Amino acid sequence: MGRILMKGNEAIGEAAIRAGCLNYFAYPITPQSEVAEYLSRRMPEVGGVFLQGESEVAVGYMIFGAAGCGARVFTTSSSPGISLMSEALSYISGAECPAVFVNIMRGGPGLGGILPSQADYFQATKGGGHGDYRLLVMAPAGVQEAVEMVMKAFPLAEKYRNPVMILGDGLIGQMMEPVEFPDELKSEPSNNDDWATSGMETRKSSRRNLVKSLFLDSEQLEAHNRVLKAKYDRMRREEVRYEPYNLEADYKALIVSYGTMSRVCRTAVDILKVEGFEVGMVRPQTLFPFPEKAIEEAVRRESCKVAVSIEMSMGQMVEDVERSVRGRCPVEWFGKSGGDVPTPEEVIDAVKSFVKELI
Amino acid sequence: MEKLEGIVAFVGNYGSGKTEVSINFAVDRKRAGIEVRIADLDLVNPYFRTREARGPLSDLGIDVVLPPEEFLQADLPILSPAVAGMLRQHGRLTVLDVGGEDVGARVLATLADSLRDKHVHMLLVVNPFRPFTDTVAGCLQIRDKIEKASKITVNGIIGNANLIDETAVQDIYKGYDFVRALSAESALPLMFITVAAELLPAIESKRFDCPILTIERQLVPPWKKPVQLKQGGSG
Repeated sequence: MGRILMKGNEAIGEAAIRAGCLNYFAYPITPQSEVAEYLSRRMPEVGGVFLQGESEVAVGYMIFGAAGCGARVFTTSSSPGISLMSEALSYISGAECPAVFVNIMRGGPGLGGILPSQADYFQATKGGGHGDYRLLVMAPAGVQEAVEMVMKAFPLAEKYRNPVMILGDGLIGQMMEPVEFPDELKSEPSNNDDWATSGMETRKSSRRNLVKSLFLDSEQLEAHNRVLKAKYDRMRREEVRYEPYNLEADYKALIVSYGTMSRVCRTAVDILKVEGFEVGMVRPQTLFPFPEKAIEEAVRRESCKVAVSIEMSMGQMVEDVERSVRGRCPVEWFGKSGGDVPTPEEVIDAVKSFVKELI
Repeated sequence: MEKLEGIVAFVGNYGSGKTEVSINFAVDRKRAGIEVRIADLDLVNPYFRTREARGPLSDLGIDVVLPPEEFLQADLPILSPAVAGMLRQHGRLTVLDVGGEDVGARVLATLADSLRDKHVHMLLVVNPFRPFTDTVAGCLQIRDKIEKASKITVNGIIGNANLIDETAVQDIYKGYDFVRALSAESALPLMFITVAAELLPAIESKRFDCPILTIERQLVPPWKKPVQLKQGGSG
C-alpha cells in the first residue's frame, strides 16, 4: 500500500493495529471520536476487539485489566476523559503494566471547548493521578509523526512496563495528511511470563504472578517507589527526543514549542529569517522526559537573549523551560488556550517584543 | 459544469473533500455569473467546515447559510431553519455541503419535505487515496449507505483524488482512471474531477473527457494561508 490521506484520528487507530495492538477500549469524545469510529469498523476486520466502556472511568480499568493479563492494549480520549482515567493511570503505573493512552486535547478546564488546546501538559507530565508516578509522554507535530509515535509507544510501554501517553492537540486528531505505516516499526509483544497474570497454561514457568499496586509495609513501598524512580531516571537517560530547527544560525531568541503549535512557530521562524531576524527552535518530541540539556545547550549561544515557551495553554511548559535554562537568560511565555491557534504573525510579534524589551 | 444548476448536494465518505469541493464549486459558478447560495449541512465534523471560509465566500457575493452565530462552535447537530426555506424556494444554484457518510447524509432525510418534487444533483465525492474508498466496491458500499440514510439517489460522481500538498501529476491520472472505472461499474456519470491550482499547469487535460474544477485550497491548518479568492479566478 502506498501513501494514503488520513485524518490524524484514523491514522492513530490504524497505527495501533499495524503495531500489533488488537485490543482497544474507549469512550467517544470530541475531538477524538473518529478513532473509536474508525476502529469500530477496522478491529473486527483484523480479528481485534473494540469495546466501548460505559464511561472513561470504566475504560481506564478495562485497560488495566487487559494490560495486567499481558495483552497489548490502548485507548484514546480527550482532556475531560483523560481526567476520568487518571486514577487508573496511577494504578497501572503503580502495578507496572504497559499500556498506551492517547489524549487528543481540547480546551479546558472543566468541559472547556472542543477546539485545539495543549492545556493538559501538567496533567500528562506531572501527574493527574496520585502518587509518585510518571508517564512517558510523546507529542507529535503531524499525522505521520503521530503514526510513528503510536507504533513506537507499544514496545516502549513494554520496555518500561509503564503507560506511554501520546499527547496531541485537537488539530492532530482532525487534520488530514498523507501517511504511510513503516513496516520496520512493527513489533512483537515482549515476553511477560515473569509478571503478567496471563494464565498458567500459556506460561513456561510455574511461578504465580501477582499484579498489584498495594504495599502496606513501608519498607516494601519505599523499595517499590525506588524501583519506579529508577525507571523514570532511565527514561531521562534513554528516551529524550527533540527536533532542533535553525540552531545553526546566530539566533537572538530560542523558541521552545511542541505539537502543531511548533509548526506555526516554524513558519514564523522562516518568515523572520527572510527579514534577517534569526530565531532558533527546540521542539520537544518527548515532554517527559523533557529535553532539558538540549535547551540549556541552545541558550548558551552568545547571540541568544531570551527563551520563549510558545504553547496553547496559559503557561505550563514554560516552567520546564525555566528549569532547563537554569537562569542563563530570561524566559518568557506566549500562548492562547481558548481554541484559536496563534498565527505565525502573532508569534512573530511576541518574539520581537520580547527581544526588543531586552535591547 | 453548466448542467449543474438547481440543488447540488455533495456527499461522500469522511474526508473525501466535500467541503473543499463545495466551496470551490460555488466560487467557480459565481465567477461564471450565476447567483450562488451555499449551506453548511455538516453536522458531524467539529473542525475544517465551510463556515471557516464564510468571510472570503461572502466577499465574492456568495450567500453562505450557517447555523446562528452563537451556535457556530457548539458541538451539537444544529440545522439552520433557513435551510428548509432556501430549498423550497431555491434560486439558480444552491450548493449543499453535506456531512460524511450515512451519518452525515441523514440530515437530507430530515429535509425531505422541502426537497419533495425537486430534482437534486446528488454527487458522490470520491478520493481513492482515502481509506475505505480505495476500491470500486468500497465506493459503492458508501453510496448505498448514503442513499439509504438520505433517502435520495446518488446520480453523479466527482473525482477528487489528492494527497493535499503532496499530490503529484501521476496521482491525478491514477485518480481519474479510478473514477472512470467507478463510473463504468455504477453507470453513474462522472460530472467533473478536481485539480489543485498549483498542479494545473503540469496536467494534460486532454487525457480527461470531463470538466476540471480548479481547487484553490481554503481549508488549511493555521501555519498555512488559504489561497486568496479573487473575483475573476486565478486563471
